[in-house]
Amino acid sequence: MMPKGYINDLGAECLEQTSEQFLGQGLKKLIVNFSDVQFINTIGVSIFTSMVQKALEYNGLLCFTNMKKVHRDIFEMVGLMKYVRFFKDEEEAILFLKGRN
Amino acid sequence: MPFGSLQEKDFLDRQSELADLYQRVLQAGAHAARSVVVAGPRGIGKTELLKQLFGLLFWRQDRVSPFYVVVNPALLSATPFSQTYLTQFLCQRLAFEKKEQSLLQRDGLSLDGLSALVEDRDAAWARELLDQYRQSSDPLSALRIALSAPSRSALITGTPVAVLIDEFHRLKGLSLEGSPDPHLASFFESPLSYGKTPHVITGNAPEIEEMPVSSGLDRMALLPLGFEDVSSKAVSLLRANEIKGDAPPLLLRRLGGNPFSVECVVRAAGAKKNPEERDFWNAYVREIREGTLARFWSSALKSSFPDLGSRRTALSLTHKIYHANEPFTCRRIAAAFSLTDRDAEATARALYFAGFIQGEFGVFRAVEDGVLRDIVDCLYLKEVLAKAPQDIERELLEKLLPQGEKAVRFDVTLPMTREAELVAAQCLDQIGKNMNLNQDAIGQLQIAVIEACINAMEHGKGAENGISVSVAVEGERMEVSIESAGREFIAQETGEPFGDHEVAKPSGRGWGIKLMKRFADDVRFEKTARGTKTILIKNVGKSINVQKEGSTERE
Repeated sequence: MMPKGYINDLGAECLEQTSEQFLGQGLKKLIVNFSDVQFINTIGVSIFTSMVQKALEYNGLLCFTNMKKVHRDIFEMVGLMKYVRFFKDEEEAILFLKGRN
Repeated sequence: MPFGSLQEKDFLDRQSELADLYQRVLQAGAHAARSVVVAGPRGIGKTELLKQLFGLLFWRQDRVSPFYVVVNPALLSATPFSQTYLTQFLCQRLAFEKKEQSLLQRDGLSLDGLSALVEDRDAAWARELLDQYRQSSDPLSALRIALSAPSRSALITGTPVAVLIDEFHRLKGLSLEGSPDPHLASFFESPLSYGKTPHVITGNAPEIEEMPVSSGLDRMALLPLGFEDVSSKAVSLLRANEIKGDAPPLLLRRLGGNPFSVECVVRAAGAKKNPEERDFWNAYVREIREGTLARFWSSALKSSFPDLGSRRTALSLTHKIYHANEPFTCRRIAAAFSLTDRDAEATARALYFAGFIQGEFGVFRAVEDGVLRDIVDCLYLKEVLAKAPQDIERELLEKLLPQGEKAVRFDVTLPMTREAELVAAQCLDQIGKNMNLNQDAIGQLQIAVIEACINAMEHGKGAENGISVSVAVEGERMEVSIESAGREFIAQETGEPFGDHEVAKPSGRGWGIKLMKRFADDVRFEKTARGTKTILIKNVGKSINVQKEGSTERE
């Protein structure tokens, strides 16, 4: 998944729905690439929180890649770090996920 | 003398709070009025407010008699306390009848002197109270009679009494036969709840909050003054000393809206004829190193920690809390300072009661007060690190003094429309690029500004004038202020707009202020004539190379 621009209520809700669809289809490993994300606000973050919860309910694994430090700090502040894997880029995340098979 | 030190015309900063209290106690004339605790940090103006209220009630109306008393720490034994309380009340009550200011100065009268005065005025109600007091069988009965004197007089004469008590927390030290008994303060319970004797009490808020009698009272928080009020106060102090210049705005902001701090620093600077900017900063550093402000906090530390070892630990702990990103629990304090859990808790509680830290439920963090932070730093450098005075002064001035470059300022007005906050964030980005500022730091500040703008929109709902965003860059320091018409403000204890918690919980916006604090070096909230202003300050630093868009550090 590749969100773009400003992650506020609309942006994050759209992402949440997409991830829920994937999880519902049985896909358990999801990668969110943040390279095109410019800003995240706390409404967006709270929707990410429920997205992480959903992934945990489905025994899924969320991987975040290409994050700016400032965005990573936000996730750290709200305590999401322990439920999500962070990678430099998609290749690294894919390598990791392949290794888990 | 229970009148304020300022003339009414000069007491501009707290007019709305004064009017609220005035109306509140006047209700006792017609209906029942509720007692209230006026809470606020040291130096915020609680005592002056009480004195101004006394003056207003004394001169301006005839329906409710004012009674002002300061709890004297030297007179906390039940007998002298009750006698002083009764004497002061009778003198002030009699003074009110014919507006005799001279009677207010006679509160040191003996009981015989008081009897003579009462006879002279032929005040039967006062004679009855005095006789009752003299016939009391023991100190406890005498105390009960003295404390109920205002309500008895209200019942007999039909004139309600507004009881204004300053330093109320000291009543925890009321003693019987030499040993303090905190329960004696519960004798106030009945007078505090009587509708014809509304009490306005103030003092050290954390200690008052822990007194059982305060639980049923209303609360009024005295907030820091807004920047405009601080500026006017500074100007008025300077002009009173025939000084033409103005105090530097950056310094005034640092004083955090505390009138006592403003007064101390401006007076100290005014000792020099025609002070320049540097003189004001020097005066501030002198104040926090060895002036009235420093002595005030140093003596608070000494009286809370008489033992040298524990004082040193307390100072080191305070310094650590002020420089930590996360709040401290007692367990964390115990581990960091090799203390038992009990000692850690006792130290933290004493610091909390002394006003150095916040945390009434055992999770402690720094008080939002830049001046206190500087004083703690200064004390730590002096007492724990044993640095020489000239080194401390140099270090502080280097930290505080602006870099000497002129401030550049940008102003934008945002409409209350969806995603308008992005405009402010993008402005910051462009300003950063134009001025070659560090892009990562700007990125952090952008996140904080987005949150502040969203808060302003939520609080200012329905207002037509939009949000004013002002960005000032001075050297490597960026200050962004976001002002809206939202009137919602603050719990004094946290210094934060309560709207952030109320509005936001369902949508997760409760993290907004945390996020601002995480990404800005300093976050302040001010009440302004228009509404509410949030000020974000960050030392952004210069960029080594001008970076292209999107090249911000990634992990």
